[in-house]
Amino acid sequence: MTWSEIALVALAAVVVGLVFAWQGASRLDRLHRKVAASRIALDAQLVRRASAAVELAASGALDPASSVLVADAAYTASDAGPVTSPAAALKMDGLGSARERAESGLTATLREALGSPEAVRDLRAGPAGEVVVGLAAAWYRVTLARRFHNEAVAQARRVRRLWYVRLFHLAGRAPMPRTVELDDALPPGLEPAAG
Amino acid sequence: MRGTRRRGHRSLRVGIVCPYSFDAPGGVQFHVRDLAEALQAAGHHVSVLAPSSDDTELPDVVTAAGRAVPVPYNGSVARLTFGPLTATRVRRWLEGGIDGSPFDIVHLHEPMVPSLSMLALWLATEPVVATFHTSQVRSRALQVAYPLVRQSLEKIAARIAVSEDARRTLVDHLGGDAVVIPNGVYTQVFASSARRPEWTGTADAPTVAFLGRLDEPRKGLSVLVQAVPTILDRVPGTRFLVAGRGNGIVAETREALGERASSVEFLGAVSDAEKAALLASADLYVAPQTGGESFGIVLVEAMSAGSVVVASDLGAFQRVLDDGAAGALFRTGDPADLASTVLDLIADPARRDAYRAHAAQWVQRFDWSGVTEQVLAVYEMTLDADHAIAGDVVGRFMGLFPRRVGGDA
Repeated sequence: MTWSEIALVALAAVVVGLVFAWQGASRLDRLHRKVAASRIALDAQLVRRASAAVELAASGALDPASSVLVADAAYTASDAGPVTSPAAALKMDGLGSARERAESGLTATLREALGSPEAVRDLRAGPAGEVVVGLAAAWYRVTLARRFHNEAVAQARRVRRLWYVRLFHLAGRAPMPRTVELDDALPPGLEPAAG
Repeated sequence: MRGTRRRGHRSLRVGIVCPYSFDAPGGVQFHVRDLAEALQAAGHHVSVLAPSSDDTELPDVVTAAGRAVPVPYNGSVARLTFGPLTATRVRRWLEGGIDGSPFDIVHLHEPMVPSLSMLALWLATEPVVATFHTSQVRSRALQVAYPLVRQSLEKIAARIAVSEDARRTLVDHLGGDAVVIPNGVYTQVFASSARRPEWTGTADAPTVAFLGRLDEPRKGLSVLVQAVPTILDRVPGTRFLVAGRGNGIVAETREALGERASSVEFLGAVSDAEKAALLASADLYVAPQTGGESFGIVLVEAMSAGSVVVASDLGAFQRVLDDGAAGALFRTGDPADLASTVLDLIADPARRDAYRAHAAQWVQRFDWSGVTEQVLAVYEMTLDADHAIAGDVVGRFMGLFPRRVGGDA
C-alpha cells in the first residue's frame, strides 16, 4: 500500500467514526430528552392524582376512617417530593424509592377505600361524582405516562449499550436512566372502559 | 414552542396515517375513518392520509396518497403504497398540516407495515403516537430492515395496541410496552339498525351470517363451508348469508356444495347500512377465522346488533367474547366442532338469549365514547411530555446542522 492509500483508508475510517458518533449523539440526546420529558409528565399526573385523592377525602363521600387514611397517604405521596424542574428530570434517576413507595401506598389505600366496583359506581352517582371522575382521569393518565416513560428508559438504555456509544463516551456524564416501578393498577370500576 | 394550552379545552390538530388502501376497506381503514369522525365530534381538527386511487370516493377528511399496489407481504396480498413519489406526498402532507398550521400530533397506524405509516414515521418531526393492530409482525424481511426501522421507532412517544394479543406481539417482536385501547364501535348504530325480512330467520329456517373477504383463507370461509352439510342434515331450512367480496370463490364454493348450494346466499360486498342490517337480522354470526386476528371488530358489531356470535377460539376472539360469556367458541379450524356448536345454539333459544343479554352489556366497553376519551388521554400525555422539555441540546452545543427533532419545529 502506498502512502496515499493508507492516508485515504485512515481518512475514511475517521469519517465513518465521526458519522457514527454524530448519529449516536443525536439519537441519544433525543432519547434522554424523551426520558426526562415523559418523567415530568408522569410527575404531573401523580400530583394531580394525589390532589384528587385529597379532594375525595375532604368530600365526605368516604367513611371517616378511609378519609383520614386516604388524605394521609396522599400527603405522604406529595411530601415525598415532586421533582418537576427539567434539570432535576434530566438526572433520569427515576422517582426515588421513597416516592415510589408512597405512590404505591396511595394506590393501595385508595383501592381499599373505594371498595368494590358497585361501591365505585355509587360514588360516581353521588355528590362526589365529579371528584371520582377527576381521580379516575388522573389515575388512568398515571398508568399511561408511566408506560411511556419506562418505554423511553428502555430505549435509552438500549442505545447506551451500543459499542460506538460506549467507545466515544457519547453519554457523557449523564446517569443511566432508571425505570419508575410502582403499583398504579386501576381498581375495578375506575377503569375508563367501565365508566 | 406553540401557543399556550389549557388542559382538555384546546382543540388539537391531529394527522392520522392509514397504511392500507380505502379502495378495499378493511378493519384498519374503518377504524381510522371512525376515529377521525369521533375526534371531530369531540371538537378536534383531523386530516387522514391514506392510499387510494383517484376514482374511489373518500370521506372529506381523507387525503389520497396515491394508488396502492397489491403486493404479496407476510403471507397474504396487501394493497400498499411506497416509493419515492409517495415519500414526497407524505412529506408534503406533513408540512401542509391543517389549514397551513402544523399538526400537534401525528397518529400512525401500523407503523411496522411497509407503507405510508412507515414513511410518515421516518419523516415526522411532530410528536408521534402509534397504534399497532396486528398480532403478526414476525417476518424475515422485517428482521432485515429492522436496524433501519428501529431508530425511527424511537420517535414514537406513545404506543397503543388494540388488544392484549397485539400488545404481546409487540412486546415479543419489538420489545418495550404499549397501552391497550380497544378498537371502537358505534354500538348504537348497530343496536338501532332495522332488520330486513329477507335476512331474518325463523324457527325452521334460522339464518347464519358470515362477513369477510372470501378469497382470504385466514378469514375461514372454507371452515364454514365444510360445516354446512352437517348443519343442513339436522336443520334443512338453515340459510347461510355470506357477505364479502372475493373473485372466483363463489363459483368454486357452489360447485363444492353441489345441490346444497341453494342454502348458501352470496351477497357480495355490502354497504355499512347493509352490514348493520345483516347483523341485526341474522340469528347467528359465524367468525371462523383461522389466525392473524388481533381484535375482531366485526364480533363487537355483531354483538351490538344483537346476533349471537359463534367464533373460533383464537386468543383475540376469546377476549373479545369475554372468555365465551358473550358468545360461543369452537375449536379453530374444526368444521365438525363449528357444526355442532351452531346446531346446539339453534336448538337452544334460552342460551342464545343469555349470550345476547351478556353481550349487550359487554360491548359498552368498546363504544367510541369511552375509546375516544382514552385516545385523547394518550394525546394529552404525549403533548405534556413534548412540551415539558424543549430545546435541542446537541444542536445547541455543536451548532453544525439545523435539526428538527420531536415537536420543536
